[in-house]
Amino acid sequence: MKIRFWGVRGSIPAPGPETIRYGGNTACVSVQPRAGGLVIIDMGTGLMHLGNALLAGAFGAGTRRATILLSHTHWDHIQGLGFFAPVFVAGNAFTVWGPGGSPEVLEDILEGQMDPNFSPLQTLKNFTATFDVKAAPLGVPFEAEGLTVTAREHPHGATTALAFRIAEAGRTFVYASDVGQPAETGPDPGAIAFYQGADVLLHDATYRPSDQATRRNRGFSSYEDAAAAAVAAGVKRLVTFHYDQDYSDAEVDDLVACCRRALDDRGGAAIDLVPAREGDELEI
Amino acid sequence: MKVRFWGVRGSIPVPGRTTSRYGGNTSCVEVRPKGAPPIIIDAGTGLRRLGKALMEDGFGDGRGQASILISHTHWDHVQGLPFFSPLYRAGNQIEIFARRRDTHLEAVFSQQHGEPYFPVPLSAMQANMSFHALTEGARFELGRAKVTSTRLNHPWIALAYRIEVDRAAVVYCSDTAPFTDLLLGREFVEKPPSLDDPLPPDTAAELAKLRAGVVALAHGADLLIYDTQFTYAEYRLRPHWGHSHPDDAIAIARDAQVRQLCLFHHAPLRSDDDNDAILASYRGVVAQAGDRFEVISAYEGLELALGDE
Repeated sequence: MKIRFWGVRGSIPAPGPETIRYGGNTACVSVQPRAGGLVIIDMGTGLMHLGNALLAGAFGAGTRRATILLSHTHWDHIQGLGFFAPVFVAGNAFTVWGPGGSPEVLEDILEGQMDPNFSPLQTLKNFTATFDVKAAPLGVPFEAEGLTVTAREHPHGATTALAFRIAEAGRTFVYASDVGQPAETGPDPGAIAFYQGADVLLHDATYRPSDQATRRNRGFSSYEDAAAAAVAAGVKRLVTFHYDQDYSDAEVDDLVACCRRALDDRGGAAIDLVPAREGDELEI
Repeated sequence: MKVRFWGVRGSIPVPGRTTSRYGGNTSCVEVRPKGAPPIIIDAGTGLRRLGKALMEDGFGDGRGQASILISHTHWDHVQGLPFFSPLYRAGNQIEIFARRRDTHLEAVFSQQHGEPYFPVPLSAMQANMSFHALTEGARFELGRAKVTSTRLNHPWIALAYRIEVDRAAVVYCSDTAPFTDLLLGREFVEKPPSLDDPLPPDTAAELAKLRAGVVALAHGADLLIYDTQFTYAEYRLRPHWGHSHPDDAIAIARDAQVRQLCLFHHAPLRSDDDNDAILASYRGVVAQAGDRFEVISAYEGLELALGDE
């Protein structure tokens, strides 16, 4: 499968000359199975740019479908939806698998974003493509565009976010953004088992540990947490993701270098470290 | 007074190489009367940066006072509010003004804050916040500054504001469609009518009234900030989106006899080079026509001094 980063930033889009290299768009990752098809993870502002790129192909003609996996419904993970051009082309079809256990509640939350006070679209019903919302089952694999997907709930501040383990012919990619494990107990063994042996683990690395310490309640990981999880789970590659909106490119460079040292110090010298950058592609 | 642009983009923030000179943050303008608290117009993502600057300036100690005038509550005009640091400091006074609607104004903003969309509810903000619902055409005072407003032509309705203080006037007119083809209000317009069909007389009269309101509001202003999201050709394709183009902005500026017209609310995919070209071309248009006002284009960090500084 081929993975591409369309948005790698946390919380709020961060435009400016100081974020150009890593990118300022909020969370959006595409996964292309070997057999074709498309899975999109999260709908931050990066989704607009993915959508515009898709219009050139069959999505422009209204003859394609895709699956969207949604980790949770905080703004930075849904704010690109109204700007995703393929939902305005009749004939396209989208299935969203998201959190909460109830498709009605999830659809209602997404509908709230289109409320006429906030959006000129007024309602999801004004999408011309088919847009089907489903509740992702926890721990029970389901099929999406030829990939096998398993979802797991992780603590994220006062709420939770879903992580996804995606498998294709013995290769695995795990997406674990917005993970706030409790400081006292560290990563839950269930989470480590979920990441176990992944070819690629994309993990929340919002903060330097010093910034995390003053913002614990926000429910994000530091690069230390990401490195510890990668080593404990014996993954092959670690991708840092969801950088704090205030971090400049130079600060993210530093965060990545520190993460490399954290991996080495913990016995993870063999783990490849790949920082997520807007526009970059990764093949598994 | 000083006017500073913190966000100049329409629809959605657009980080990236091709937008970094004009800036990718959504609408936010700071008006600072001499020696007085800031009057902020709109709360797009530019508000986050403004908030950080204010924290260095009294708001960090909880001694800050600010008014925020909201043109309308579409995302690109409110999405910076949860990231406005002064709200998280006790003692600061933040007054929010927006058009009255069916639901209570505070309830509208509460929807944006708190789960399932944002970790912090509005009720947990430490600053003192108050909400003021405005009628279309409201007039009120903020310290020495006189604020007046009028209705614009935009889906779900937006307000334009004029702020007069320090012997100068700035007028903010975003978002609005031209007052020529389509009256926008509460209905969702899926497909616009043909622009060449004549308007029903009552619609034409209503649009003429709105346009006259805008021209009167902007009359003699030192600075008119105007929604020019579209080029004329783009407008012809999407008149129902509720945005204007430079030709229309120039016609309004001419009728209102303003001193300076500022192109604003740039389309998300408009590159810096495209914005340069649009500005150059319309500077040529006003020079050719012998207009007495100057045309500028808003970019993040642009600061203008008007009247008594």
